[in-house]
Amino acid sequence: MTYAFFPGCSLDGAARDFHRSTLAVTARLGLELPELKDWICCGSTAAHSTDPLLADALPAKSLSGAGGATVAVACAACYSRLKTANRHIAADAALRARVAQVVGRDYDGRTPVLHLLEILVRDIGLERIRAAIRSPLAGLKVACYYGCLLARPPEITGFDDPENPTLMDRLLETAGATPVEWPHKTECCGASFSITQPGIVLRLGNEILAMAQAAGADCISTACPLCQLNLDMRQKDIEAKSGRRYNLPVFYFTQLLGLAMGCPADELSLGSLVVEPAALLEARGIGR
Amino acid sequence: MTGRMSPTIKIESIGGSLATQVAERSGASPMSCYQCAKCTGGCPVASGGDLKPHELVRLVQMDQHLAVLSSRFIWECTSCQTCTTRCPQKVDIAAMIDALRGMSRSAGAVAPSTAVPVFTDLFLDAVRKHGRVNELGLMVRFKLRTRRFFEDVDKAPMMLSKGKLPLLAREVAGKDERKAMFGRAAEGGAK
Repeated sequence: MTYAFFPGCSLDGAARDFHRSTLAVTARLGLELPELKDWICCGSTAAHSTDPLLADALPAKSLSGAGGATVAVACAACYSRLKTANRHIAADAALRARVAQVVGRDYDGRTPVLHLLEILVRDIGLERIRAAIRSPLAGLKVACYYGCLLARPPEITGFDDPENPTLMDRLLETAGATPVEWPHKTECCGASFSITQPGIVLRLGNEILAMAQAAGADCISTACPLCQLNLDMRQKDIEAKSGRRYNLPVFYFTQLLGLAMGCPADELSLGSLVVEPAALLEARGIGR
Repeated sequence: MTGRMSPTIKIESIGGSLATQVAERSGASPMSCYQCAKCTGGCPVASGGDLKPHELVRLVQMDQHLAVLSSRFIWECTSCQTCTTRCPQKVDIAAMIDALRGMSRSAGAVAPSTAVPVFTDLFLDAVRKHGRVNELGLMVRFKLRTRRFFEDVDKAPMMLSKGKLPLLAREVAGKDERKAMFGRAAEGGAK
């Protein structure tokens, strides 16, 4: 199976560990992810909160270069922007014409866009994933954290149940882990307010970490670069401000899946995690 | 919810021009809101805001330009889409807030406490110039512009040591074409 991969800016920067672990896992599954040629930034919140036309034109420019291939996305924010632009353009001929004028070529809004979780669980399927598991994540209790933009709004993303998504839970259960029941799967981490208004991120991150801990999780699994950064890199700050102690490693789901598939730690960039996972993995006998 | 009373609304006028403008810019339907406050129940930033989402929508219905456009709340929205997803009347509140941000800037009414417009401009400037955003470059420019030199001084070294900040940005070809594209978008795609 081949998809055109749209990594997004973060996967070349702060989420290079997400990038590497994605490629490690997909290679083991025989999945080819050639990069979408000359992709540009999705525009993120900066574009959609400034100029709705630009917010549709930036994804249209990238997606119109896919040549009909299904586009695979890892970052939840890129996924949301690409799918939103698709929805707007496909549903509104006048907007499609304006976007074509801005981009310089027509785009019909119909390039299929899928998140890696959808590809792994639905296209590849849990049976093939199960067959690729070499060292199950036995005894590892994981809080699967989806964040905002994979599941919301469901009319646009069509990802999963918007209040209780289960794609990541089912994937990691197949990898031998035990997903915990918890209510904060789709709560917001504060996203890019990490830079502009970090106080908001510290408060929201504290609520998410406290709930994961209360649910008995050993660690958190994420599917979005900003979710991962805000919970991992800011965890010490959150602990200092709240007076609580979490010490919860915050993985990308691809890193956990890669461990279960027997990928070596450096192929998964586990060294990039700020909250060290070594003691937890050692205690559970994972990754030896 | 806290025990804070809802703000008393001093009526400027009732005519719905703000609601009409917001609806045109966002495609949302603010006049459908019947104040159930389900949006506020799920909003991650309502508790610390100067407005709550259902109050914001009410103020739009009541044509209260200044209270809405100068609010801190429109800049503290995380665009998490919870309000939009849960609204029983399908009011796209998140899209309303995007529109209100633009209107607030046009009106020169941006709440002084927010640095979001600065960040947004630097972000889009990077996309226009390079096609992609280099996070380190963006953070440095934001700190210079806002003079927040002492906030998060530990983060850049931490990220560098963890291999999270490449020093060299990858540049996508087609800079002139992108600049022209941004220009055409600003003109509304009419040319």
